[in-house]
Amino acid sequence: MGFFFHIGRYFSMLARVFARPEKHKLYIRQLFHEIDNLGVNSVGIVIIISIFIGGIMTIQFAYSMANPLYPVELVGLGTRDTLLLEFSSTMLALIMAGKVGSNITSEIGTMRVTEQIDSLEIMGVNSASYLILPKIIAVVFVFPFLYIISVFFGLLGGMVTGPIAGVISIPDYISGIQWLFYPYYITFSIIKSLFFGFLVASVPAYFGYYVQGGALEVGKASTKAVVNTNILILFFDLILTRLLLT
Amino acid sequence: MITLKNIIKTFDGNTVLKNISTVFEQGKTNLIIGRSGSGKTVLLKSTLGLFEVDSGEIWYNERNFTQMNQKERKVLRREVGMVFQGGALFDSISVEGNVRFPLDMFTEMSSAEKQKRVDFCLDHVNIEKQAFKLSPSEISGGMQKRVAIARAIALNPKYLFCDEPNSGLDPETATVIDQLIQTLTKEFQMTTIINTHDMNSVIEIGESVLFISHGQKEWEGTKNEILSSGNQKLEDFIFANKLYAQMKKGK
Repeated sequence: MGFFFHIGRYFSMLARVFARPEKHKLYIRQLFHEIDNLGVNSVGIVIIISIFIGGIMTIQFAYSMANPLYPVELVGLGTRDTLLLEFSSTMLALIMAGKVGSNITSEIGTMRVTEQIDSLEIMGVNSASYLILPKIIAVVFVFPFLYIISVFFGLLGGMVTGPIAGVISIPDYISGIQWLFYPYYITFSIIKSLFFGFLVASVPAYFGYYVQGGALEVGKASTKAVVNTNILILFFDLILTRLLLT
Repeated sequence: MITLKNIIKTFDGNTVLKNISTVFEQGKTNLIIGRSGSGKTVLLKSTLGLFEVDSGEIWYNERNFTQMNQKERKVLRREVGMVFQGGALFDSISVEGNVRFPLDMFTEMSSAEKQKRVDFCLDHVNIEKQAFKLSPSEISGGMQKRVAIARAIALNPKYLFCDEPNSGLDPETATVIDQLIQTLTKEFQMTTIINTHDMNSVIEIGESVLFISHGQKEWEGTKNEILSSGNQKLEDFIFANKLYAQMKKGK
């Protein structure tokens, strides 16, 4: 099926998703469940990845800046700006597309193939809205927090790893991360993370919602969802960077 | 009562339902029987509006379902209960949560009233109290079907649809499910439509039987008439089971 077919069906699904909910109380209960399931449960992996990447970047910056003509603060500055501008928003979204996205596709896809979605429809429930809206709101809501957590632990990772690896001292590193700091970088990345959060929830939900077949097809849909979400994240990263940063 | 008039449904040029007309009566267990792939499930799902028919009319009592918009259909569906082949219980909530779900979604009952209704429905399908808090994956297939029936009757529906409700169950449990559906149909005076290819169900509860083959209505009658229908396709279907072949010979 063609590209435009999927685009059209994706937007018609979104129209159903954002229709007026049947009962707000149930949606709010579902929203808190999704914030816990998709957001809070992701904090651990975000912290681990961010600490390691922060440490690795510090060592790599120190290696490539090993020139007496370069100020030593560049190591901290490079680590900070990479985390702020790209890693903690875009790279983290790519990782979350794998974790959260595949979770969403397989959950909704399994509900589709086991007729649970038909069951909701027959009851008169707008299944697209009930199942997908809380997930979108939850992921869009938690992504900026995950971004901030990632930046913090990434910088911490660099601060711990730099001195252990003997490439930079803590005062030089701290001085570096304070050097030439533009708060707009955070605003820019939070805007990006809101967009990415929407993609990470809605695109996998689309692939899960329209899956046909059995367990094998749910698995294939999960893979497709992650690949397509990643491509869209990179595409929108390019557009948003062009629009907001240049 | 549900009336189907000249229902035609095609998928990618392949006609799956060919001009089917029938009446499903209130207070009776109306069975749709036929081989696998004969179009039973498509007929059931078309009646529910999960598939749009190409032509024909579906009437729920005096209401023309085929003329309704999505909003009107949603309202009508609150009068419908459905038991799916696999139960289709929501995995993420408990047994009683499944039965409470339609009450939470569509009623303004208090918590105590909802609990009373949940207890009533689960009690009606013989689910013991200790199973109420379990998740659907922790109970047997037969119990899952009974919970699905309890959920289907939670909103006191006028119409009950069952898609092969006893598939995958042992004969004893299958009979229990059949009798349960029949009892509930009488008690709540529902219009019940059951898809099945199980001849035991036909003999047990087939008050009205519609036989379809290759998407076409071949025969209509009751369980008392079915063994002497004179319809070759129906006889081929029934007497594929040696037990019924022997019954016909009077053994």
